[in-house]
Amino acid sequence: MNWLNDNVNMLALLGAAAIILITVFVVAKYIKQMKEDKSTGELAEENWDGIGEYKNELPIGWSLAFLGTIVWGLWYFLIGYPLNGYSQIGEYNEEVQKYNTKFENKWANPDEETLMGMGEGVFFVQCAPCHGVTGDGINGKAADLTVWGSEAAIVDVILKGSKGLNYPLGEMPAGLLQGDDAKAVAAYMVEKIAKLGKSKNPDLVAKGESLWAVCAGCHGQNGDGMGGNSPSLKNYGKPEFVVDVLNRGKAGNIGVMPKFNDGRLSDIQKLAVGKYVNSLSQ
Amino acid sequence: MQPSRMINYDYTVAKYFAIAAIILGIVGMLIGVFIAFQMAYPELNNLAGEYGTFGRLRPLHTDAVIFGFLLSGIWATWYYVGQRVLKVSMAESPFLMFLGKLHFWLYLVGVVAVVISLAMGITTSKEYAEFEWPIDIAIVIVWVIWGMSIFGLIGIRREKTLYISIWYYIATFLGVAMLYLFNNMAVPTYFASGGIGDWWHSVSMYAGTNDAMVQWWYGHNAVAFVFTVPIIAMIYYFLPKESGQPVFSYKLSILSFWGLMFVYLWAGGHHLLYSTVPDWVQTMGSIFSVVLILPSWGSAINMLLTMKGEWGQLKENPLIKFYILASTFYMFSTLEGPIQAIKSVNALAHFTDWIPGHVHDGTLGWVGFMIVGSLFHMAPRMFKREIYSKKLMESQFWIQTTGIVLYFSSMWIAGITQGMMWRATDQYGNLAYSFIDTVNVLHPYYVIRGLGGLLYLIGFMMFAYNFYKTMTASKAIEKEPQFASPMAA
Amino acid sequence: MFHWLERNPFFFAVGVFIVIAYAGIVTILPDFMNSARPVVGTKPYTVLQLAGRHVYIKDSCNACHSQLIRPFKSETDRYGMYSLSGEYAYDRPFLWGSKRTGPDLMRVGNYRTTDWHENHMLNPAEIVPGSIMPKYPHMFKNVADIETAYAEALTVKKVFNVPYDKSGMPKLGTLEEAKAQALKEAEEIVANMKSPEVKEALKRGEIKEIVAIIAYLNSLK
Ligand code: HEC
Ligand code: HEC
Ligand code: HEC
Ligand code: HEM
Ligand code: HEM
Ligand SMILES: [Ca+2]
Ligand SMILES: [Ca+2]
Ligand SMILES: [Cu+2]
Repeated sequence: MNWLNDNVNMLALLGAAAIILITVFVVAKYIKQMKEDKSTGELAEENWDGIGEYKNELPIGWSLAFLGTIVWGLWYFLIGYPLNGYSQIGEYNEEVQKYNTKFENKWANPDEETLMGMGEGVFFVQCAPCHGVTGDGINGKAADLTVWGSEAAIVDVILKGSKGLNYPLGEMPAGLLQGDDAKAVAAYMVEKIAKLGKSKNPDLVAKGESLWAVCAGCHGQNGDGMGGNSPSLKNYGKPEFVVDVLNRGKAGNIGVMPKFNDGRLSDIQKLAVGKYVNSLSQ
Repeated sequence: MQPSRMINYDYTVAKYFAIAAIILGIVGMLIGVFIAFQMAYPELNNLAGEYGTFGRLRPLHTDAVIFGFLLSGIWATWYYVGQRVLKVSMAESPFLMFLGKLHFWLYLVGVVAVVISLAMGITTSKEYAEFEWPIDIAIVIVWVIWGMSIFGLIGIRREKTLYISIWYYIATFLGVAMLYLFNNMAVPTYFASGGIGDWWHSVSMYAGTNDAMVQWWYGHNAVAFVFTVPIIAMIYYFLPKESGQPVFSYKLSILSFWGLMFVYLWAGGHHLLYSTVPDWVQTMGSIFSVVLILPSWGSAINMLLTMKGEWGQLKENPLIKFYILASTFYMFSTLEGPIQAIKSVNALAHFTDWIPGHVHDGTLGWVGFMIVGSLFHMAPRMFKREIYSKKLMESQFWIQTTGIVLYFSSMWIAGITQGMMWRATDQYGNLAYSFIDTVNVLHPYYVIRGLGGLLYLIGFMMFAYNFYKTMTASKAIEKEPQFASPMAA
Repeated sequence: MFHWLERNPFFFAVGVFIVIAYAGIVTILPDFMNSARPVVGTKPYTVLQLAGRHVYIKDSCNACHSQLIRPFKSETDRYGMYSLSGEYAYDRPFLWGSKRTGPDLMRVGNYRTTDWHENHMLNPAEIVPGSIMPKYPHMFKNVADIETAYAEALTVKKVFNVPYDKSGMPKLGTLEEAKAQALKEAEEIVANMKSPEVKEALKRGEIKEIVAIIAYLNSLK
């Protein structure tokens, strides 16, 4: 946490130190006066319930400091935050622009490791409140991301169906296939469509291929989603699919996930969190 | 030289309010300690169903201490100091006596109504102005009665020149009256809709940003005219009176007074920095906050210099300790506040625990100590008995001071940590912490704050006990002392 | 010297009043009309949302939650677009708060959902481990006060010309119509909830506080 690099933090710390110092200094001064000086002066003629009043002059330090703050006030008003020349929104725009330029320069072509690190950071702040810190979905309150995107999850989708990504084809019905058939299609999809690597049931891949027609009706022969009518299964289990979920939101069976398209996440950040999410199940 | 001592001052109403201040102080601070521990141990929210949650109790805490403890303390001192520096007894006017008692009893009815309504969740949500319109009306009536009592007493005064304390009581009266009226402007919905829904419900006359401006014009100056101005009235009387020292400088008094009146009202913008109120209003808020240091310090310095050459009293008389520490804390919080009002610092401090830290520097160190110190000075004179125990007073002082130090130091660290974590980013430019991380790190500081508050409360209970014993069981005194209060070891 | 004023309480009081009175006029009035103008797209709350807002106020959520996103990148990253004055044009009272014990909620409707709130309000620490927010089981029992909310909506419509019943704006109608409308909105929310208690109640025509407050939280965008 590079606290001291930020001049505002510096200012806060300096301010804190100044408070302590000035208070100690001034109080010490008056304590000294209380200890050593004698009270003197010309008494006013009034007396209230035994309380008298000296006609002493103003303490010089106090008067000078009063003038000093007034001068400072004028400076603040005319130069520090000039009445007609300062806008807090303008200041914000500059801050963001400066940041964006720096970000683009530095992370124009992020490598794998960068994306993972960045994604992890985004996940903890933006996703963990629903999916839990480990991504397990907090006892079924949101999707279990340690499973989502894996072969097992595909089987689950085939058995239970899917809804809420808001594609033109609407919902995917439950129970299109059962038992081994479902496993077989999942195996085929893992190896040949989404290309997620080796299936756990390599012997079922061939059977899966023969059953693929069930899916092709909506997802297309090659699984590309038929021009945006349903999700592209080529991307399933990949960061691109997660980005799609982030952009569309998901009103699913367990609950609703909001869209993340209000500008809080940049495209690179979305991709990064997608990578991180995929790493949870693979 | 002492004609004032011939007058038989009538302290009936002062006594009522003194006792109310003590009871409501205990109640308010007990709730304060409880909500402090709720922030460390959230299970404490479930002890009394919906009535025991932090959200319901927090306004009860703030309003019990402000409108219970503080106002009662202010009025107790008014009904004591007012008579004495105006050199006129309330006993001389049956009408004023009646007003004073009416003032107290109506106020008490108001307190009961406030407690019930806040516990039920009947609130308008505006900080320090939570009450719905029926209570607002009651408050206005109570306030007008107090005004009549002030100007009535002034009207029959023997001392022609108003003492400094009176200036401040008058300002309190006028300031709060103006602020309270404008901030609470609301339309009762039951009547406007032709009899639908809850009869006590109302809707604010102002919306959004305007509502915020009016609220913090009020909120900031509620601090001015309840936490500051009347407390200055107290210190200007009790410190010179207890110490027997003349006030250091009339010129300083007068410049501080008019300076404070002029500058305070402009500073409310510091509660709205970086909000949607116009930039220039915010800038004004920052500037006047910093300028405000000087008129604030003027009074404090005037008091410290009044003790010039009287260091010995500070050691011998624990009451003087209360006053001197109070004015030191006053200087402390009126320096801390302006620093927090600087835009770049406020960007960090706003919304964090540093603000409640600042608040309690002022309320515990300045307001609390002044009220306790004032009531201590009044007790022997109201009850014609010695203060029951000096030793107890000494220990109370140290216990409470420790409490305050724990409170503000923990909240400083908590606030600045929180503020920095909210804005911290990792090397990729992402926010480094989820919100809950910033909550979890604060746990130890919330515990320390709770303990600090507990110490302060224990000290206050010691005060209550000491006061009660003074009232009932202490040695009687024959002649009222001119200065230093008599106290048993 | 200056003792004249201090011997004339009346003029003294007048003097004090003048000195303290005009700062408010100078700082508050000039931008009053501007600040009250809604930004395009801002709509008044529906009766159900307003009832939820009353629950929010009743339990003083504003004691811990702000509704004001300041123009800093760290805040817009966390909570979304910074706040604009016109977005608050129908907020009576404003609910900016002054302390963030919990996160800002100005745009919570963008990133939390009905089912999430249901779980969270019932037991925050279960959803967000370490949360110090209180549990609100009583909101699942108490019934939301639709009538008072309606009375408020009607009041601001009449007194402050809040554009209810205008085209593209929430409909108010009569109390009966408003109640029917609130029930309809409540149904949409309850469809995404689990609590059998709340569902049962809705069938009887009762809207629980939890439903109203979720309607309100979802409207914060
Ligand atoms: C009736 C059309 C239809 C058929 C047939 C179909 N799908 Fe789908 N599928 C969809 C739609 C529509 C979606 C997007 C659903 C949503 O909104 O979540 C989808 C989503 C998916 C998803 C992504 C689920 C997620 O977690 O977001 C997978 C994986 C999938 N389908 C696999 C298959 C497989 C394997 C088959 C064949 C057994 C199949 N689909 C058959 C329409 C279909
Ligand atoms: C307000 C709660 C919430 C937040 C915040 C949230 N999610 Fe989700 N998410 C859900 C819920 C609920 C589901 C399950 C929907 C269903 O299938 O019933 C889900 C499902 C998912 C899925 C599976 C979608 C599918 O097609 O099956 C992915 C991937 C996902 N979330 C990723 C993320 C990422 C990445 C973030 C953060 C940038 C995030 N979520 C933030 C609630 C949330
Ligand atoms: C004692 C303080 C406290 C009170 C009172 C409180 N909250 Fe919270 N709230 C928190 C804290 C701390 C968090 C962050 C941890 C969490 O999400 O639970 C939080 C989080 C939330 C969130 C999640 C926001 C997000 O971005 O994740 C919502 C919504 C919320 N609170 C609503 C409410 C409502 C509605 C009420 C009143 C009925 C309320 N809170 C009262 C402390 C409080
Ligand atoms: C020169 C004098 C002072 C100045 C300029 C000042 C300034 C401030 C500032 C900047 C804030 C924080 C606003 C925010 O960011 O939320 C604040 C809050 C506060 N101050 Fe002071 N302060 C002063 C003196 C005092 C004193 C003496 C007290 C009490 C005895 C006090 C009580 C409070 C309270 C109660 C709040 C909290 C308001 C809220 O609810 O948000 N202040 N003050
Ligand atoms: C026993 C001592 C006390 C304790 C433990 C205590 C505790 C607390 C706590 C926990 C809060 C809430 C802070 C938050 O929301 O983060 C609070 C707020 C507040 N208290 Fe106290 N309190 C004590 C005494 C007092 C006294 C004596 C006063 C006034 C004379 C006072 C005035 C306030 C005010 C004005 C606030 C609101 C601050 C704000 O909104 O920023 N408290 N207190
Ligand atoms: Ca009110
Ligand atoms: Ca506050
Ligand atoms: Cu202020």
